[in-house]
This record gives sequence, C-alpha cells and structure tokens, in this order.
Amino acid sequence: MNQAGKALSEFVAEGTEILEALGRDLLVLDQQRGQEPDPDLINGIFRAAHSLKGLSALFGQERIAKLGHQAEDLLDRLRLGKLSLDDRVLDTLIESLDVLQGLLAEASREESTPVMSQRAVELGSRLANMGAASAAVDEDPLDRLELDPQVRAVFTEYEEHRLRENVRRGVSLWRVRAAFDLSDFDTGLGELNSRLKPLGEVVSTLPSSEPGGATGIAFDLIFGAKVSADELAAKLQGTPAQLFELKVRPAAGSEAQSAPAPVAQVVRRSGAEAPEEAPAAPAAPKKSARKKARSSKAGATSETPAPQAPALHVVEPVSPKPHRQEPLFHDESDAPTHLRSETSAPPVRTLMEDSGSRGTRSESESLRSLTQTVRVDIGRLDALMNTVGELLLIKANLQRMAEAARQDGPVTVSKMWGQELSRETRQLERKLDALQQGLLEARMVPVGQVFDKLARLVRRIAKDAGKEIDFVISGGEVELDKLIVEELSDPLMHIIRNAIDHGAESPEAREAAGKPRRARVSLRAEQKGNHVVIEVSDDGSGIDEQGVREMALRKGLITEAQAREMSRREMLNLIFLPGFSTARSVSELSGRGVGLDVVKNNIGNLSGIIDVWSERGQGTAFHLTLPVTLAIIRALVVGVSGRTYAVPLNSVLEILSVKPSEIRTVERREVLDTRGTTLPLMRLARLFGHPERTNDRHFVVVAGLAQERLGIAVDELQGQQDIVVKSLGGRLQGVRGISGAADLANRRTVLVLDVGALLEEGMSLERRRA
Amino acid sequence: MPSLSVLLDSFFYRPDEDVGLLQELVAGTDETVEPIAEEPPEEYLAFRLEEEHYAVPIRAVREIVKVPPLTEVPRAAANLLGVMYLRGEVLPVYDVKVKLRLTDKAPLVAGPDAPEPPRRARIIVVQAEDGLAGIWVDSVSEVVRLRPSMLEVAPPGVGGGERDCVVGLGRRNQQLFILLDIWQALA
Repeated sequence: MNQAGKALSEFVAEGTEILEALGRDLLVLDQQRGQEPDPDLINGIFRAAHSLKGLSALFGQERIAKLGHQAEDLLDRLRLGKLSLDDRVLDTLIESLDVLQGLLAEASREESTPVMSQRAVELGSRLANMGAASAAVDEDPLDRLELDPQVRAVFTEYEEHRLRENVRRGVSLWRVRAAFDLSDFDTGLGELNSRLKPLGEVVSTLPSSEPGGATGIAFDLIFGAKVSADELAAKLQGTPAQLFELKVRPAAGSEAQSAPAPVAQVVRRSGAEAPEEAPAAPAAPKKSARKKARSSKAGATSETPAPQAPALHVVEPVSPKPHRQEPLFHDESDAPTHLRSETSAPPVRTLMEDSGSRGTRSESESLRSLTQTVRVDIGRLDALMNTVGELLLIKANLQRMAEAARQDGPVTVSKMWGQELSRETRQLERKLDALQQGLLEARMVPVGQVFDKLARLVRRIAKDAGKEIDFVISGGEVELDKLIVEELSDPLMHIIRNAIDHGAESPEAREAAGKPRRARVSLRAEQKGNHVVIEVSDDGSGIDEQGVREMALRKGLITEAQAREMSRREMLNLIFLPGFSTARSVSELSGRGVGLDVVKNNIGNLSGIIDVWSERGQGTAFHLTLPVTLAIIRALVVGVSGRTYAVPLNSVLEILSVKPSEIRTVERREVLDTRGTTLPLMRLARLFGHPERTNDRHFVVVAGLAQERLGIAVDELQGQQDIVVKSLGGRLQGVRGISGAADLANRRTVLVLDVGALLEEGMSLERRRA
Repeated sequence: MPSLSVLLDSFFYRPDEDVGLLQELVAGTDETVEPIAEEPPEEYLAFRLEEEHYAVPIRAVREIVKVPPLTEVPRAAANLLGVMYLRGEVLPVYDVKVKLRLTDKAPLVAGPDAPEPPRRARIIVVQAEDGLAGIWVDSVSEVVRLRPSMLEVAPPGVGGGERDCVVGLGRRNQQLFILLDIWQALA
C-alpha cells in the first residue's frame, strides 16, 4: 500500500472508532429521551465531535471537518445550556452521525459525490440554526446560591452552567474540602473524584482558601450530590474529605415545587460532639427538610463553614414513606422509563436487557464495517507472543537434534534420540494448540457490534413505517468470529426490516387486537456449545402459512400434490424459496429485490442454518444457528470410494455402524431406525456420483443442525483432525454440498462437506418425492 | 504412526521450493530476434496441448507449477479437473482441451483412480477476476517474443464457434503459435 493509501486507511480506521463512540453515546441519549441528559454523556459526544473535526482536518477531509465543526458548535451550546436537548436536536444529531458515516464511507473509497456534499451542507446549516436558546431564565438561580462572589468569579462558563443547572434542579450542593500532602495530592484527589463520581457531579475543583498544613494542599470540590447526606458521608468514610453544604435560598414560587412536609418528623441530634473527628457533617436528606434545617441555623454561610458550626439536624420522615435513598430530583424525569406514560414515549425505544453491547461499527449503505481492522486486547497479543517465543525454543531444539543426527552420519538412531524427539514433538503440539487458540480468540468480537448498528437502523425504519417499536437487545457480549459478525449484519438487517415492516402491526391495529400499542422486536444471541443461536422475534401478526402455501402454488414453486402433504413447518419454510415474497405491495423497506432466499444463502455460506417459527397473531421468530468460528475447526475425516472428505465435527452428533440389512426404505427413500426414530439416510458416494462400493457394513455419520437430522453413509472413518477451511473461491461457490477445502498434513487436499446444505438437500429430496 | 522421514519431510516441506520454473524459463530463452525500437515485442508463454502449440501473454501468468495431487470436486462443471493447494490457497484447475475440441472428454487426473501425471505436465496459474485459477497443459515449451507484425488474426473457421477463445495466431519463422484468450477459455 502506498503512503497516501496507508494514511487514508488509518484515517478511516480512527474515524470509524470515533463515530462508534459517538454512536454509542447517542444511543444512550436516545434511550434516555425525555430525561435530564447526563452532562458527562454530552461532554463525551462533544469531545468525540471535536476529535473527529481535528482528525479530518489533519487528513484534508474538509467535508467531514466542516460538519464535525458544526456539530461540535451545537454540542458546545448544548453543554453550556444555551440550548436544550429536545427531540428535534437529538434527531438532528443522530442524522449528523449518519451523514458523517456516509462521508467517511465515501472518503474510504476516495470519492466525493455531490449528493452527499449537498446533504452535509444542508445539515450543517440546520445545525447552525438550531433552536436559538433554551427558555429564557427570568432570574439567575446562581444568585440564590450562597457562594462567595470571589469563588464564583473563577468558575469557567461551563462550570457556572453546571452549577446553575444543579441549583435549578434542586440538587443538594456540597463543598467538599479535602487536604492532601503535597507529595501525592494528585493520587488522593483522583481517588476522591472517583468516589464522588457515582454519587453525583463534581462541578468544579478549586484550590482551597484555607491552607492544608505545612506540606499540604487543600481543595474545595463543588459537588452536586444525587444521594442523601448520610449516604454521601458514609461513602466518603476514610478519605480526608469534609462536607459543607452550600445553601440555596428558595426561589420565588419554589414552594409549589417542593414536596409537602412529612406528617411526622423525628429530629435526631448527631455529630455535634465531635465534628472534627467526623469529617463529613451529616445533613438533611430531603429538600423540604433542608429548608427547615436551615432555618434552625440561619446565618451560617457556606464559604466559612467553621467546623464547629452547629450540627445539622438529621430529619427522618417516619411514615408514611420509608427512608428515601433515591436521588433527590424532584421532577418525575428520573422515574424508570417503563413507568412513563405510553403516549409520551418516543416512537422507538431500545432496551438493553443486560450490559451486552460494546463497540459499534459504522453504518454505511450496508451495515458492514468500513475497515477490516480488529481491535485486539493487548493481553491476548502478549499471550500469543509468549507462545511464539516458546515455539522458537522448540524449533531450536529440533534444529539441534537434526544437526546432531546429521553429524552422527550412518550411526543408527538411538532410542534416547527417539524419545527426545517425541518429547519435543509433544511440546510443539501443545504450543501450536495454544497458538491456534490464541489466534482464534483474537479474531473473536462481540456480536453487540452489529446489534448496536441495528438498533439505530430500527429507529429509522420504524419511523418511516409509522410503527411504534420496542427493540430489545440481549446477549450482545456473545463472541463470534469477526468474519461471521461482518457477514451477519446484512441478513439480520433484512430479517429485522421484515419484522418491522410485515410483522409488527400499526399501533391502532394492535390496540384493536387487544395487544399493547407498542410492538416488541427482540434480538437475542446465546451461545450453545459450539454454536451461537441468534433469534430475531416479534410479537406481531405472524405468518399466514396458508397464504404462504397459496402463494407458492400460484408462483409454481410447489405442486398441488406437494402442497397437500405439507406440514405446517414445511409451509412456513417455503418463504425461503427463491422467488417468494409475501409482501403484497413491494414496500421501500423490505422490497429491495432480495428475499429471504438470499438471507438463507448468506447464512448457509457461514455454515449456519436458519429456521422460522410463527404463530398467527402471536408473532414470528427466526433462529439463526451459526458456528463460533470458521477459521480452524475440528473435523471428522471420512473415506468414500477412495476419496477423502472432512465433516465439521460440530455438526456430527454420533456415528453408527450399520449392516446393509438394517437400511429400510420408506417411499423408496432409505432410512434408518435409530432408537425408535426414523433417520433419513444419504449415501455420500451415490450423491456425489462416485463408484459405490459394496460393504458388509456402513459407517453412518449422524449430522444435525438445529432440529434437522440426517445420516450420511460413508465407507470408512479416518480419524479427527484440526483443519483450516479455505473457501473454494468465487468460481466454485456454486458447488452444492461442499463448503471449502482443507489441507491435511500429508499434502492431501480434502473437501469439507457443507452439512447445512446436505441436510437441506436431504429434506428437499423428501419433499420432491412427496 | 508414519515413519520418521515422512514426519520430518512434511515438517520441513516448503511448497514454494517447487516453483521458480518461470524464472528459469525467462533466463534460458535463446531468443535471436533483434527487438526493433518502434515495434516492442511482447512476451508470450508457449505451451503444448495435445501436440499443438499455444501461447498466452506472459503477464497473464502468475506462475507455473508441477502437477500436485489434485482433488476432484463432485458435481462440478465438466471442465473442472479438480482443486489444488498452493501456498495456503485453494484454486481450481481447469481443462481447456475439451473447449478447444482437442479431446472429447476431460482426462481423469484427480481422484484415487487417476494415473500419475505425465512428467512434463504443468499447471499454469493465472489471475482471473475472481481469484486464481490453474490450467492444465501437457508441457511448457518456452517464452517467445512476438512483435505485433508477427501476429495475424485467426483464419475463419478457427476463430468462430466453440473456439472463440482463440484470438489469433503468432508466427515466428516457421513456427505457429495459437494465441489463447485465457479468460475466455476458462469461462
């Protein structure tokens, strides 16, 4: 690769990474729609836009730099509170992400289409003109805060804004004083910050006006706490921090906001005796109570809170409410999302069922990544490096032995030498195993990468289709080979489009059917042994299997006779036939000229299979069963008519030894009776047109994927081996039943059977015969 | 357990030691035609198919290898002889003789019943648009330099019909080379 190309690919990789982070944060914002946005999140997005701007300016990508700059501007206004984050702003931000991704995709192809430029310019001007200011504030809430004007003067604009925000929301504000020794104040301060972080927001860190001792330095941290005073004090136990509350004078009309005073109060004195020993002075846990507490010690100003100041009253409301530990937000916005009224909910919500998804990839026209880069944990690489080091040692040993053997000349090889050689070989084998394992792990990425991209897509599709969708993701942490994850994105996108477009009903239709207004589309990944099962399900209208059959008949995909004998499951599976589509009108969303047959093919190319379940009125579920990796697999080596084939071991269930007399026929089709169930039998030699041998017994490899079973009759078993499967390449992809080739150690090339395709062929043979 | 020599052999085996024939060929060409400045000659790789002389532009050829054990692919197209491994890649090996009507049926060269390949037989590896592909030739003869004036269009009856993969003839002194369109021949 030339210099420019290398620089470009570096730019694309890094840009993709930034956009991923941006996308992740925006997704969280999207999920928290309607709630007070987390300032850290906004800051993170702001920083991402800023780095993207800098990066793309550096690489001469002016369109991205410009749009990045405009987005950064908007975000700056957002974080300074000059603009409030409403749905329109968020939508525009998400749109910017899409456009930036589009621009990056074009940059990676070294092109620049006028359409995209136009879109960027148009969006840029929209960003610039976005909502002038948030609602005008008639009085500055900061004036209500009892804070020394000198202290206030040193605040940056952003800190002032955050402080104002905290006052406005009625969060209890604290001055946290901590003195550290000069030698290690940075670590001490860092630790204090990390303790405070989960409890609220550190608005500003200022050097304290009071000296911190001879060799010390003291800091004042302005802190907006989300937890009660007791909890705060408890969490700060063991640090040199002292707590002083910052008083807020009630704003005009703020009485209406505050909760009614508890019916009964227990006033408990505490902390008065030894305020020096108890570094954190306890304070009132509730806003309403705080006012009361303040009145009892009026005059104590926050900037000179003498440690011997009168102890604050701890007010515990007894009944009817239990002691509250929740954050002290007095608006209802921190209520859990699911409690919020249905009508005010945004059209799409993405719900994570667990900590699943990490890392998004960019979304271009297809959801494939722009780069082939895999980010690998340095620990994994170190382990690989170690293994390689040990392999080199073994190689040196072998070399030494070879040299010794050469110099000894025609002298007979001693037994010792043989033992030594076999010991080295065993070592070599072990280390190679470790190397293989390590490399496989390095290739693994969480499927969450694709899931996150899909979540954004769902948002857009649902909006376009006028559906209200809850998109539920789980199992994003399940790991798959990078190659598989990449190849998976397009089929999943297609299935999800179908689920939203055809599966989910309109909100009105759902209500009429007595279902919740919002349809639920879920995407789950689960590891099952050597396979990963990915399920896409919806609770929509389901598939009309009779309709499917009619359609297949009309299109001549099946015959009348076949149609009569079909089971429900078989009817459902007709949707995977080429040339089939149930959509009455080809919509913009699903009707892209590719059907589920393409999806099925794509999954098949990954040695996976797809299965569908559906119940009228209850929904549809697609199950994708995929191998964890395609790179190196363990295979069963079998012989047929003198040829050798490899069968991936992860699809082999068992091996039977069968006498010819045990093979029966049902409707001229050969079957085996295994423990009471009938197993269809396929003679590999016959299928592949090899000269058949007459054996006094067959080996039958029972292969299975999902619930399909098939017996494959072969002549001999040659053992198991780890193989690296190579694709047969574009020219040979059409060969059915073969998924690739592998090199066995003895320089023999063997073909690897595509068990999924063979199963399918077995089933369709059955169908055709019916 | 295979014998020690087999183990060591496979351990130290390097497939790239098998190639390099191309360089030898290029170096060993005793070409006498003086190049003329305004008419730069082009190099062609000449090979034999059933005693006929064929040639392809040498830039289309990536390498020439001895015939390795080929693995037959069931249910594949008739002109596919099999697949072979070449330094970690699997590539298909094709027969062009049937297409050129030199024989009626592709020879059996892969699988357990195939005889040992003839000593002079080679696989020419070419870069097709969808990956590498191999072509079986009976022997590789030389690298010839042909100037445009030495080329002529294929006479009628040769270029037409099934033999549309013949793009012309090259004549050097008394020797005739049939110029192949390699991609057409693989189609």
